[in-house]
Amino acid sequence: MAKISVNDLFFHYNKGTPVLKNINLKLNNSSTAIIGQNGAGKTTLVKLLKSLLKPIAGNIYINELNTKEHSAASLASEIGLVFQNPSDQIFNNNVLEEVKFGPLNLDYDKAKAEELAVESIQRVGMEDMIDENPYDLSLSERKLVTIASILAMDPEIIIFDEPTIGQDYENIKLIKNIIKNEVKDGKLVLTINHDMDFVAELFDRIIVMNRGEVLADGPAEKVFSKRKILEKAHLEPPSVQKLSNDLGIEKTFLTKKDFINYFNSL
Amino acid sequence: MRSISLYVDKDSLIHKIDPITKLIYTFVSVISPFIIPTILVSSIFVAVNMIILTLGKVFKKVIPIISFVFFIIITIFIIQGMFYGGNSTELFSVFSLTFYVEGLFYALRIALRAINILLTFSIIILTVKPSILIESLVRRGLPPKLGYVMHSVLQIIPMMSSTANTIMDAQKSRGMETEGNLWIRMKAFIPLIGPLVMNSLVSTHERSIALEVRSFSAKTQKTFLNEEKIPAAMKYLRLVIILIFIAIVVWRVVL
Amino acid sequence: MSKVIIKNLSYQYPLGDENALEDISLKINKGDFLGIVGPNKAGKSTLCKSLVGLVPHFYNGDFSGEILIDDLNTKNHSISQISLKVGLVFQNPFNQISGAKLTVYDEVAFGLENIGLPREKMIERIDYYLKLMDIYDQRASNPFEISGGQMQRLAIASIMAREPDVFVLDEPTSQLDPQGSKEVFNAIHKLSQKDLTVIIVSQKMERLAKYTDNILLLNQGRVIDYDKKEKIFARDDLEELGVRPPIYTEIARKMNLKNDKSYYPINRKKLTDLVVKKYGQNFSK
Repeated sequence: MAKISVNDLFFHYNKGTPVLKNINLKLNNSSTAIIGQNGAGKTTLVKLLKSLLKPIAGNIYINELNTKEHSAASLASEIGLVFQNPSDQIFNNNVLEEVKFGPLNLDYDKAKAEELAVESIQRVGMEDMIDENPYDLSLSERKLVTIASILAMDPEIIIFDEPTIGQDYENIKLIKNIIKNEVKDGKLVLTINHDMDFVAELFDRIIVMNRGEVLADGPAEKVFSKRKILEKAHLEPPSVQKLSNDLGIEKTFLTKKDFINYFNSL
Repeated sequence: MRSISLYVDKDSLIHKIDPITKLIYTFVSVISPFIIPTILVSSIFVAVNMIILTLGKVFKKVIPIISFVFFIIITIFIIQGMFYGGNSTELFSVFSLTFYVEGLFYALRIALRAINILLTFSIIILTVKPSILIESLVRRGLPPKLGYVMHSVLQIIPMMSSTANTIMDAQKSRGMETEGNLWIRMKAFIPLIGPLVMNSLVSTHERSIALEVRSFSAKTQKTFLNEEKIPAAMKYLRLVIILIFIAIVVWRVVL
Repeated sequence: MSKVIIKNLSYQYPLGDENALEDISLKINKGDFLGIVGPNKAGKSTLCKSLVGLVPHFYNGDFSGEILIDDLNTKNHSISQISLKVGLVFQNPFNQISGAKLTVYDEVAFGLENIGLPREKMIERIDYYLKLMDIYDQRASNPFEISGGQMQRLAIASIMAREPDVFVLDEPTSQLDPQGSKEVFNAIHKLSQKDLTVIIVSQKMERLAKYTDNILLLNQGRVIDYDKKEKIFARDDLEELGVRPPIYTEIARKMNLKNDKSYYPINRKKLTDLVVKKYGQNFSK
C-alpha cells in the first residue's frame, strides 16, 4: 500500500473556483518534488495531504489513514511539514524546548522527547545554540530549528516547503545533506520548490502542476526533457538542461557532474 | 475579510454630507441637551437624529444598539422612580413598591440624553467611511502620525488573520490539537499567542522602517490622491448648525 | 561619474559584539547595476540600510566614515531627505505594506503623498508602475489580502514610483516563482538603462550574472573584491568565501573553457559558444 494515496481529489475554497481538479497520485519512496508556478495549487495540495484542509471530493490516504477521518494533529506522527517561514511556528524562548514541542504532543514521555530533540538538533548542526533564544538567532538558524522540530517527530513522510528561500550557500549545502540523509533512512521526502537546480540534484520524481491539475508525473530525467510541458506550466528546466537544449543534445542532464562527465567521455 | 468598521455604504442624502460637517453637528447635538436640560429639547434632538438616520437608510442598524441599552434604561427608570431625592408626588404602586412622578421625569431626561448621544454617534459611525474621516482630519491639521494610529485599527483584522491562520496550521501540524473540550482549546492558545505577538512586534518595527523610507516623517506639505469635494451647500449647512447652537446658548443665558 | 561614494565606512549595531561593516570604501557610478553577494552576516543588508540612512539614524549604534550620494552626506541628513534620492526595498514584503491605506492603488500613493507630488502626476506614476510590476489588476484589493508574490511586486512598485536616483533592493524576489523573478529583474534592468543606479543583493547568481555590470563581494563586513562581474565570478575561491558561483561558470571551470579575455563565461550563451568551439557540433544524439 502506498505511503500517500490521492484518489480523484477535487478541491475549492469558494464554489465555482476550482483549485485542484482530478488529482490522482501514489507516492511511495522516491523523493518527490512538486513544481509549478505560483497559484498552480501546490501549497493547497500539501495542506490537503497534511489534513489541514479536507477534500471536497475524493480521498487522501496517509499510510492508509483517510485524512477526512483524522485531524491534522493526529496525523503529525505520520507526516511532517517544514513551513516556509520559521516565525510562523517558533514560540518558545529556548531552542531545546521549541524542538521538544512536537515529540511531547506525540505523547512521548519527557525523557524520550528530550532525547529525540537533542538528536535532531545535532543532526542540523545547531548543538552550540541549544540553549539560545530562537528570537536571537538569524533567519537561517531559525530555519534549521524548525527543521529539527519536525525531524524530532520522526515522521515517515516529510515535506519541505521552499526550504532554500533566503538561505545562503552554506545553509543550502546543509539542507541538501539533511534531505539526502532522510532519503537514505527510507523516508518519503517531498518538496515544493522553485529552485530547479536544487530539485534536479536531489529529487528522483517530479510532479508538474499547472492550474490545479497534474501536467506531468515521472522520473526527473523524463519530466525535465519535456519542453512543451514545462513551457505550458511556465517553468524552465534546470540550468544544465537549458545548456543541453541550446547545444541540441538529446540527452537529459540533471546535474553539472552529468554534463561534465558526458563531455569527458567524448 | 472585512476591516473593522461599522460603516454602511449607501447612496443617501446623509452620506453625501462631508465628515467635518457631521463632526460639527455631533458636537452640537450632544452638548445642546446639556445646555438646555429640558425634556423638550432632548426629545427634539432625538427626533431629528432619528429622521437623519432614516434618511441615511441606516436606521435599522441602530435598533439593536438601542435594544441593548434598553435594559439599562429600564433600570434607571426603576431606581430613580423609587429613590430619587426629590420624590414627593406618588404616581402608582406595585407590590408595595412606590413610584414617584419627579423620579420618573428625571429618569426620562437621562434616558433621552443617553439615547440622543447614541443616535448622534451612530450617524458618524454608520455614515462616514473611517478612512475618509481620518483623511479629512489630517487635511485640517491632525498630526499624520495620530491619523496613522487611528487608521491602523482598521487594518488589524486583515493584517493579523492570515498570519494567525498560518500559525495555527503550523502548530496543528506539529500535533497540537485545537478541537475538543475547553481545556484542550485553552492549552492550544499559548502556542498561538507567542508567534502572533512576536510577529506583530517584529512587523511593527520593520513597518516603521518602511514608513520612514517612504518619507512619512517628512516635513513637506502632503498632497492627497483623493479629491475632497465639498459642495458649497455644506458651508451653509455648517453655518445653520452653528447658528442653532449659538441660539441655544443665548437662550440658556438669557432665560 | 560617481553617484555613490563610500569612505571608510564601519558600523556596529547597538547590541552587536562585532562590527557589521568594517572599513568599507568604494565608488559606484551613475547608471551602474551593482550586485552584492556574500554569505549570511556578510553585511549586505547593513550596507543597504546605510545607503538610505537607516544606519545610523534609525538603528543608532557606532557609525564611522561617510556615505555620499551625489553631494549629500547621509550622516547630516534625515532618512526622509535621503529617501528622496535613494529607494530601499527589503526582504519581507508583508512588513513593507504601510498599513495606512486600504487598497493596492492607494498604497503606492502613500509614498507620493508624503513628498507632496501633485495629484495628476501621482495618478500617472501609479498607473505606470502598477502595470510595470504586473499588479494593476489587483489595484482595488486590500494590500494585506494579496499573495506573497503580489506583495513583493507591490513593495517594489511603491518605491519605484518615487523615482529615486539610486534604487537599492535587498533580496527582492524571494517570494516569486522563476518567471516572476525574471520579470522583476527585467523591469529593473530597463530602468537601469535609463541612468538609474541599481544596487541589488541576491543569491540568484545566474540572474546577477545576466543583468549586472559589477559585483561587490562581501564577507564578515569587509570588502573582499569589487570589480566587473566577469572578474568576480572567475575567482576560484568563491565557494570558500561562502558564495555559490553561477552554474555556467562552474561548468566552464571544470571543463577548462575560457574565452579570449581569459575569463570563464558567466552566461549560457557564451558557454555554449565555447563548448561548440572546442567540441565542434558532433554530439552523439
